[in-house]
Amino acid sequence: MALGDYIKGAIDIGKAMGVTLKHLAEKPVTTEYPRDSVPMYPRFRGKHELRRYANGMERCIGCMLCEAACPTGAIYVEADENDPLNPTSPGERYAKVYEVNLLRCVFCGDCEEACPVEAIVLGHDFAMANYERKDFVLTKEQLLNPGEPNVIIRPE
Amino acid sequence: MADNVTLTIDGKQVSAAPGMLLVDAAEIANIEIPVFCSHPKLDPVGCCRMCMVEIEGPRGSRLMTACTTPVAEGMVVHTNTPQVAEVQEANLGFILLNHPLDCPICDKGGECPLQDQTMRFGPGISQLVEPKRLKQKNYDISDMIVLDQERCVLCWRCIRYLEEWEDKPQLGLHNRGNETVIDIQDGQPVDAKTSGNIIDICPVGALTNQISRFAYRPWEVERTASVCNHCSVGCNIRVDTRTHTVRRIIGRENMQVNDQWICDKGRFAHAWVNGENRLETPLLRKNGELVPVQWSEALDFIAEKLQAVKQQHGASAIGAIGSAKIGNESNYALQRLFRSVIGTNNIDHRDGADVAGLATGLPSLAGVMKPQYGPNPQVDTIFLFGIDPSEELPILDLHLKRAVKKGGAKLIIAHPRKIELTRYNGPYLAYEPGTEATLLNGLLRAAAGQKEGLNSTAVSHLADVKKWTEEADDRALADLCRTDPAAVKAAAAMLAKSEKALIIYGPQAARGSDGPAIRDGLANLAFLTGHQDRLAFVGLEANSQGARDMGVLPDRLPGHASIGSSDAVKRLEHLWECKLPTAAGQSYKQMLDGGVKALYVMGADPASERPEWAEKLDGLDLLVVQELYLTETAKRADVVLPALGWSETDATFTNLERRVQRAPKAVALPQSRAAADWAILSHLAQKLGAKWHFADAKALEAEIGKAAPIYRGLTWEALGDQGLQWDASALKSKPELKEVRQKMAKGSKEYPLTLVTGTVLFDGGTLFGATEKLDGVTVGPVVGLSPADATKLGLTEGAAVAVSSPEGSLSLTVHISEQVQPGSAWIPESLPGAPVGALLNGSVVQRVKVEKAA
Ligand code: SF4
Ligand code: SF4
Ligand code: SF4
Ligand code: SF4
Ligand code: FES
Repeated sequence: MALGDYIKGAIDIGKAMGVTLKHLAEKPVTTEYPRDSVPMYPRFRGKHELRRYANGMERCIGCMLCEAACPTGAIYVEADENDPLNPTSPGERYAKVYEVNLLRCVFCGDCEEACPVEAIVLGHDFAMANYERKDFVLTKEQLLNPGEPNVIIRPE
Repeated sequence: MADNVTLTIDGKQVSAAPGMLLVDAAEIANIEIPVFCSHPKLDPVGCCRMCMVEIEGPRGSRLMTACTTPVAEGMVVHTNTPQVAEVQEANLGFILLNHPLDCPICDKGGECPLQDQTMRFGPGISQLVEPKRLKQKNYDISDMIVLDQERCVLCWRCIRYLEEWEDKPQLGLHNRGNETVIDIQDGQPVDAKTSGNIIDICPVGALTNQISRFAYRPWEVERTASVCNHCSVGCNIRVDTRTHTVRRIIGRENMQVNDQWICDKGRFAHAWVNGENRLETPLLRKNGELVPVQWSEALDFIAEKLQAVKQQHGASAIGAIGSAKIGNESNYALQRLFRSVIGTNNIDHRDGADVAGLATGLPSLAGVMKPQYGPNPQVDTIFLFGIDPSEELPILDLHLKRAVKKGGAKLIIAHPRKIELTRYNGPYLAYEPGTEATLLNGLLRAAAGQKEGLNSTAVSHLADVKKWTEEADDRALADLCRTDPAAVKAAAAMLAKSEKALIIYGPQAARGSDGPAIRDGLANLAFLTGHQDRLAFVGLEANSQGARDMGVLPDRLPGHASIGSSDAVKRLEHLWECKLPTAAGQSYKQMLDGGVKALYVMGADPASERPEWAEKLDGLDLLVVQELYLTETAKRADVVLPALGWSETDATFTNLERRVQRAPKAVALPQSRAAADWAILSHLAQKLGAKWHFADAKALEAEIGKAAPIYRGLTWEALGDQGLQWDASALKSKPELKEVRQKMAKGSKEYPLTLVTGTVLFDGGTLFGATEKLDGVTVGPVVGLSPADATKLGLTEGAAVAVSSPEGSLSLTVHISEQVQPGSAWIPESLPGAPVGALLNGSVVQRVKVEKAA
């Protein structure tokens, strides 16, 4: 082996060490999940939420269009007639039953695309692990967004 | 018939009958012309302007409405020019100006012609900047139909249906111009018995189904072609289901049966299929309580008990009751089990042997419909005897009205009530129940006096006829029957004059001991006036005809063979590998009156018909009830077996014109352990040592074809979705004149009124009562009185009264009705909580008195 090769090797090692040393001083790019959380893209498609209007009324009118649009058959809706004196949603119709089966869902977002009143929205919650199959079927109560009424309109 | 004309539509040569409308001609050529107001079953009005086409003429082409323009020889029509497209787009733009675009909450969404046409021919954008016009939304025009005036496109289809078919103008256009709306007249809800059809034909979601409101989406439901099971017309329907429940029922076209219409009972009363209190597991009485048990335990118990009763009292102490509400397969299995395995002819059903029927039903329903559609009327006169199609067979009623109005047919009506169809001013023969045969003799007497139109064979016996009908003179008619002798003469003259008269009678007219005399009286009249081939008995239940065909009768084997017919006995003994019993069995009434020790009841509820029967049932050694619900009869049973009903299992039903039709399984009951009636019976047969191997309903149909020659070839596959009629020609007997006499019951001072009973469409029966949303239209516990009698008794509408007969008493409220004849009291059957059987107690004719409730 020629002497030149040894010198070349030493230079390469030096270079590599240089990179290592440079990054040693920099801030890490990984996140310590779950202690720290990642910033979310606004159009991230996570767990579904059913929205409400500012007055607390449900947006969903039980039209079943999301159910029709869903490519995996993950959504199940049963509609019923609103009690005119105590309506659940504006108009004549509301969703009596609304279920999303997370084991089927592929988070394509077709449901929010189909919804005429922007009731179903894929939120930013991605932590959906659970222990039992049945717990992956979210009911309307679990889906209804209790917190901030009427904030996010479709992210696009 | 005139020659067809040839015209050109979009370059295609089309040959069409003269007078045909351009829309229909285009349909033949498979060319689409969008329409809203035009409908193949309604007269054209041309009010929506959607169907514009260009027609070439001597002075250039012009736009015309295809739905009002008849075809002409050499006509050249274009449906796809830019000008037509522009007009279509503009027209849709106008229609949509004020349309609320409710699609997401509208029940028509997904099957809406307005949606479809907007997508195909409409503008992409709205031109309206002002707020839309507001009108009434969610507005009930009856307990069954919701109107949304904003969605209405003013096509008049609903108005025209009610006028042209129902002859009840209950909807109309109100106001003018921009403010025009559809509304009910004078605040009266729409109450036509087939009103639901306007939902099907409304081209938008302006009229929607109240009962199925928001319960379905057209794209979410599974569709099963089936037949209605509420009456013997056997209308073709489509059952839409989702998640194992029936969501809605709509009409399905069958030009031999119901055109495309169905009645409101058939459409709306289906909650019973998925009712909450359905029986789901076998119940066995232990220590006086019905407790759930396994199928094997229940069937072992029944088999053991049946054998014990047979050993102790003989096979004739065992009886079975079938059901005209249940399909052919199960009824066949029932009679085969009791005939071949138990060895008894004690087999019957309600309105079976206790009614003097005829084997062959209506010659054909299409014959009644023909005056509307065809050039050669198959009937010109219809004589209804003791039957009220408006309440009992609503779609037959619709056909009859149409035959009268469009076909010029004439109606003769004999009924104790002045029923709705009497409004067509034909002769109306009122009669007192119990005097039917006398009335028929009176008619025969009047017919015998006719100079022309009598059957030449029958005429040779005219002297005899005159002799035995002598007593039925004008005085007898007026005094005994309370019939107008002039109407009798007019009716007899019409029958003699008619080329093709259809005579229809129902079970109400031929019940009890007078039944055979009444049937013979009708046969005499039909024969003498030359209409013997068109005398028809029609049962009222969905499978009344089928139950008779299957031999659920004490004196008839499958296929209407007499139990004494050696041919049939040989055939069946070979097929069933048994020795058949030879003695005639007991009828429904005889069995329930105490003629048997053990009774097997499949889908019948005699206990609620008559209190005395309920008591008798308690005293039986063994009572087995196969049912959907825990009925009054089931509550008294030793064993209750849960059955699968209509739409839950494949079955065939035979309608009043002998059309065998399929009602396939449409829903499954995943939680339930109920089984098909025939399956229960074949397991029981195996427990009793017989070798029965029926894998499914089709296997039974194959055997029925062998047992009853008239059903040969009527397999599930062959029936298709339009059904097949069995051929009645083999059952035709030679007509003859039979002397008829009737013993009259004496009226009494104490009970001044004659009881008239019968069926109403919206009754309180198990099937109808389950649909709670219909409670508002259900006929309550009422007694109908004529205005004259009500005044005489000092009673007003709604007064609480006690109605009593020598047999019992009922508490009812008074309903004053012009339909009820003076001297009679009308109490419908199966009213909620008021069995009229308490007054009849087994008799057919009964006198009652009405007193103010204490
Ligand atoms: S995100 Fe896609 S797969 Fe998931 S429920 Fe919505 S439509 Fe269905
Ligand atoms: S979430 Fe939207 S699309 Fe789904 S049923 Fe409700 S309103 Fe209709
Ligand atoms: S309610 Fe329906 S059928 Fe009647 S006029 Fe309006 S759109 Fe036509
Ligand atoms: S007419 Fe009879 S068969 Fe037809 S829909 Fe009504 S109940 Fe059913
Ligand atoms: S369809 Fe021809 S004018 Fe309405």
